[in-house]
Amino acid sequence: MTVWVQITPGSNKPIYLQVAGQISEAVAKGQLKTGDKLPAVRKLAAELVINPNTVARAYTILEQSGLVSTKTGSGTFVSDPKMISRDAADINALAERMDNVIVRGLNLGIEAKDLLEMFKSRMAGFGKKEKDKEQER
Amino acid sequence: MSELVLETKGLTKYYGRILAVDHLDLKIPKGCICGFLGRNGAGKTTAIKMMLGFLEPTAGSSAIFGCSSQNLTPSVRQRIGYVTEGHRLFGWMSIGRIGKFQKAFFPEQWDDKFFADMIEYFGLPKKQRVKNLSIGQRAQVSLALALAPNPELLIMDDPTQGLDAAIRRQFLEGMIQLIMRQGRTVLFSSHILGDVERVADRIAVIDKGVLRASCSLEQFQKAVKMVRVSFTGEMPAEIEIEGLLHCRRSKKELELVLVGTDEEKIERWANMSKVQNYEIVGMNLEDQFIEYTEPVNHKGFQWE
Repeated sequence: MTVWVQITPGSNKPIYLQVAGQISEAVAKGQLKTGDKLPAVRKLAAELVINPNTVARAYTILEQSGLVSTKTGSGTFVSDPKMISRDAADINALAERMDNVIVRGLNLGIEAKDLLEMFKSRMAGFGKKEKDKEQER
Repeated sequence: MSELVLETKGLTKYYGRILAVDHLDLKIPKGCICGFLGRNGAGKTTAIKMMLGFLEPTAGSSAIFGCSSQNLTPSVRQRIGYVTEGHRLFGWMSIGRIGKFQKAFFPEQWDDKFFADMIEYFGLPKKQRVKNLSIGQRAQVSLALALAPNPELLIMDDPTQGLDAAIRRQFLEGMIQLIMRQGRTVLFSSHILGDVERVADRIAVIDKGVLRASCSLEQFQKAVKMVRVSFTGEMPAEIEIEGLLHCRRSKKELELVLVGTDEEKIERWANMSKVQNYEIVGMNLEDQFIEYTEPVNHKGFQWE
């Protein structure tokens, strides 16, 4: 179940951020669903041949972002996205990051409509979750 | 900081008039894997030999588990595993024999089954003499010898030097397996920063005998930054920004290497300094290490 985490040493991204980023992505793509249990810290560390403290650090970051929660003694689980608190500041921060992408795209000479197409096709990579939602409805 | 396993205070070594280790104040907390980094000749091996009591310091002191390195008692030595640079082992002994030989130094903790299992896992012939082994096989024997006594502190001096990727990985796995046991600590030197990044959660950087950093890997990775800057109009002659380590100029741009300067401070500086544009460039651990240990104002190579 841990095939979706892959470590690249020598990258600009520290390993704890690689682990946290890939788990976030797996949740966004629906590969990990609400209530799924993350592998135990020691198990994932042994599997990836990385320091257990590095895995623990990644889990802490995910916990702080609300994406997962730890139940003492039983493990770390993917939280229900509906339960994740997001305030206006979070939305503003997200909008700002989108602005950065748009500015960069326009500066590269990409037209607005092509940029929008690009956004849609990237979004399609996260399509599974949309389908799940439709089924729920 | 939690309980210290190893501590040096002003540890200094002169070889004649050459200063090899210069007032080293190193603290290694229990439970970490610490990567000991430094360029060739930085003083890593000399420091390690003093920590283990194999070399007398010119000044200063070192202690492991609170016991002076100069007078490590047999009971303290039993808690320490050591892998030498180049995996020097007695060539005339067979693998089985060298296991028994090592066991004599660790009568209480030595795990016969673990040693035998590891030798089998590596596919090594027990009756073979050590001198007939390849460097990789000798390294594997050396790893099994270091882990079989289940040491509380494992010190390895550049253990993966010259080894292939598969055997290097076995060393990393060995370190991870050891650290998973409660209260184990590892100090290892290496030039392969990708390996250090994988297994270390702490690093100590030594340069020309001087300890330049001793912190968590995360802190180091956050602290060393490179910023590329372009200016509106002329480039200023002097750059004043906190934490400036290197400043390189090209016709259009400045390249700054900063240590411990947070992004807010960079932005504030940029706003005050007629900066047209600046970009924080991503660095990996290797880039960070090279920049960090690069002599200040080093001009670099110039090909005519």
